[in-house]
Amino acid sequence: MSAATGTVQSHTVIRVPDKAHAAQAPFVLLLVALDGGKRVLGHFDRAEPPQIGSRVTAQAADNQTLVFRLVEKS
Amino acid sequence: MANSVHVAGVGSTSFGGHPGRTLQSLAVEAARAALGDSKIPATRIGCVFVGNFVGGIMTGQELLGPIVAADLGLKGVSAIKIEAACASSSAAVRLGHKLIEAGAEDAVLVIGVERLTGFPRDSLTTAMTAAIDQGTEGHAGLTFPGFWGMVMARHMHLYGTTREQVAAVTVKNRQFGAGNPLAQFREPVAIEKVVGSPLICDPIRRYDCCPATDGAAAVVLTREEIARQYGSPSVRIAASVLVNAPVRITDYAEITTHDGTVEAANSAYQIAGVSPGDIDVAELHDCFSIAEIVDAEDLGFFAKGEGGPGVACKNRVVINPSGGLLSKGHPTGATGCGQIYEVAMQLRGCHPNQVANARLGLTHNGGGTAAAVTVHILEAVS
Repeated sequence: MSAATGTVQSHTVIRVPDKAHAAQAPFVLLLVALDGGKRVLGHFDRAEPPQIGSRVTAQAADNQTLVFRLVEKS
Repeated sequence: MANSVHVAGVGSTSFGGHPGRTLQSLAVEAARAALGDSKIPATRIGCVFVGNFVGGIMTGQELLGPIVAADLGLKGVSAIKIEAACASSSAAVRLGHKLIEAGAEDAVLVIGVERLTGFPRDSLTTAMTAAIDQGTEGHAGLTFPGFWGMVMARHMHLYGTTREQVAAVTVKNRQFGAGNPLAQFREPVAIEKVVGSPLICDPIRRYDCCPATDGAAAVVLTREEIARQYGSPSVRIAASVLVNAPVRITDYAEITTHDGTVEAANSAYQIAGVSPGDIDVAELHDCFSIAEIVDAEDLGFFAKGEGGPGVACKNRVVINPSGGLLSKGHPTGATGCGQIYEVAMQLRGCHPNQVANARLGLTHNGGGTAAAVTVHILEAVS
């Protein structure tokens, strides 16, 4: 497990999901540019999306969808 | 010397709800209309390509190539189905174009067909997401309204595009659809209704989305000499381009610029020897209202970021006078052939929403995350 930190490029709220995600909806989906340059798709741990440009971090795990949370400002 | 390729004839069912109709009956109706329009005897057809996206998933019917060819009474032809998601039938036109251009076939019949109405919404959403890479982004729950919702949120953020500018696309295309007898939606819609409709995938709302549609459209491709021989009411294909492009939202360097559309359009303009400013009429892939803005920019009709205020204004190029996917409807596998039908009618001067003196037309059709993109440039034959 390693921390994945990056910047929100865009967001949506999936309110009409496919069958495999019916139990989770509505959920926030984020497009995040990680600090290393890689772009990833993941969920957000809140019901409302963050602003584009927000800093977020997630614990990366194999074969699991990332779940991002806001980086607390120090 | 490569053959000059013509669209010798076109045919279409109405787009909308066709409950009880099979894929094959819709395809045959459109194909017979196109063959009759072309005046070319069916015996000259060497290939039948059927563009279809989710016929297998939704209706359980596959092998559409041989079945439709047999129902048309054709024997000894190469008949297969072509799948490139929502660009299936325009991708099939590109393949037919290559065969005619090379002299490998005299005439090719391309049909697009789909049945999407009457199914539960979650079944439809799940079927459409078959065109998202299920090994990666399907896992996260990305859908097509979700993909375009992310594009819209970022376009608004980067360029200041407003909610009302995006909604104005739906309003414009509904106005055009009201004048097109083939269109699924024939009623205009007010901007307040668009921005007040339920959220689907933020910020996309219901009236930002194309509908589920049944329908079929067909075109007959041949070389110039054969079109002349039979007196076909043909239009010339000045460029036919199909490119592959990013298949994941994370593959895009910038999601508000669709590389496949830019590349296909630039190739097509170069092949045809024209520029975006020469195009009189365009049928582009407005699967969502924001898509018309992004596509119009990527096709070179507007600078990047200027599509929001641009598309609703009176421009030289008239965009989606058929009503587009938003109003004419989006029978996914049939949409590409449907666009060529619409532009051919414009260039022949017999469209119900006729663009005055239309000589040069463009179609743009995208499959998946704009992962398979076609651009066709069509020219009137004087």
